[in-house]
Amino acid sequence: MKIITCFKVVPEEQDIAIKADGELSFDRAKPTISAYDLNGVEAGAQLLEECGGELIALSAGAGSIDSPKLKKNILSRGPGSLAMVADDRLQGLDTHQTAEVLKAAIEKIGEYDLILCGEGSSDLYAQQVGPQLGQLLNIPAINAISKITAADGKIVVQRTLENEVETLEITLPALVTVTTDINLPRIATMNHILAAGKKPSTVWALEDIGIPEPPRTIEVIDTRAPRQVERKQDIVEGDTDDAIQEFISKLSAVLAK
Amino acid sequence: MRIIVLAETQKALTELCAGASQISAQVEAVIIGDRLKPAADTIWHIPAQENALLEDYTETIAALIKQEQPGLVIVEPTKRYKLIAGRIAALLGTSVITDILELGEDLAAERMVYGGAALRTEKAASGCTIAMAGSGLWKAGTATETAVREEKTVQFIEPGIRVKRIAREEKESMAVDLPGARVVVGVGRGIAEQKDLEMIRQLARAVNGEIGCTRPIAEAEKWMPKETYLGVSGLMIAPEIYIAIGISGQIQHTVGINRSKLVIAVNKEKNAPIFKQSDYGIVGDLYKVVPALLKHFG
Repeated sequence: MKIITCFKVVPEEQDIAIKADGELSFDRAKPTISAYDLNGVEAGAQLLEECGGELIALSAGAGSIDSPKLKKNILSRGPGSLAMVADDRLQGLDTHQTAEVLKAAIEKIGEYDLILCGEGSSDLYAQQVGPQLGQLLNIPAINAISKITAADGKIVVQRTLENEVETLEITLPALVTVTTDINLPRIATMNHILAAGKKPSTVWALEDIGIPEPPRTIEVIDTRAPRQVERKQDIVEGDTDDAIQEFISKLSAVLAK
Repeated sequence: MRIIVLAETQKALTELCAGASQISAQVEAVIIGDRLKPAADTIWHIPAQENALLEDYTETIAALIKQEQPGLVIVEPTKRYKLIAGRIAALLGTSVITDILELGEDLAAERMVYGGAALRTEKAASGCTIAMAGSGLWKAGTATETAVREEKTVQFIEPGIRVKRIAREEKESMAVDLPGARVVVGVGRGIAEQKDLEMIRQLARAVNGEIGCTRPIAEAEKWMPKETYLGVSGLMIAPEIYIAIGISGQIQHTVGINRSKLVIAVNKEKNAPIFKQSDYGIVGDLYKVVPALLKHFG
């Protein structure tokens, strides 16, 4: 089976700082692989172990995603090769633009059986690139997949929705987005990391995949930290009987209302 | 401005139509088959097809939107509709603004990004905004009774691709209504064992509340159903009173509860961030505090 697993490079969430004026600072937030996409990569690696074939990792973004560290990181997790559209014209793409670029890159790669995506990206979590990409490629696209079983020319998947679980049969080629509980992404061993350095990667600019800069469909007006709600912060210290009684009397006043 | 509402459940359909009618005199709803009853000015009725999934109506809905050109399409944020809306947007050459919290008059939409660390305001660059929002978007309160004025039948477009459903199972339905609860007790990593949840459940019952949890309790420990975790990518609630038991107060969790009117925290770590976001709290061992609360309130 030939599988393409898509991933997004995002700023490390815990290192995003909030400045006094509420603006965000990404100065210390290093680029990393979106956590939800690791489940897609792992799902691809498991299918590869089960039925053989090829697993290609694919990403699109600004020129900075073309970093040796990121490449090693993704390639140590199972993919045999990597393709990237790294171009500074692809900064802060909206979901439609991302899908347009990934589509062109996938067509450049050629034939495939299965495209895997995480459910959403850990930075913006719009959960839209998978559905958009499937539609643009004109192949079956299904989200919320919690189990994949390969069969002849098709996959049988379990899809976990709000109030129901359904089993679907999807003819390949197809695209699925996977949930976080489909698997537990592997931790790369030193051997895997060393081997990753020898795996091939291809980096393209927009011209190489034959499309112009896709027009923006969403304008971002503002991004800032939410205003903190003012709280009383009436905190009792210690768990002696007296302290607990004090706490209870405060609670009684508000809970009784 | 014309608004088209897409919803999968009756509750969301009613609330989104009622909310939309507050900002528009022309609220329209797309109805598949006869299961749902909207209170809209116009109903676009798509006849139910045999053995069709909701996803099989994507092309039909996209064609309708293309033809009618509403200013806003407001969509219930279910997983099925996340897929359908994404595919519709691809067909229309635009993007969906998902999980919005606010919608301005100019259709600028606010949503949470970076795991709750920031709010972002986005606006569609094209004429049609497609946004997904829960019932909390418009303070529905008074559902204005709009009589259905016209009903039109939409010609079904056979999808080029269909997937085959071979089985379907209802999930065990949760008896809890966390978003609707007046008091919610949330439980986090501070509890040591799954069996200790019983004590927290008793507390929730004692204060006439429901029980929710943090993501690690649901996803890593699997001690509580996934549907009950509060925070980013989980539930966003705004109860009168939220009681955080053994919860440190990471932003990923607190964004889900910070619209609560009153926050109460029990945590043994004095420096736990939750205390800065609480009205009342106690720095103490929950295994001492909770039994005392049960004795008093139970």
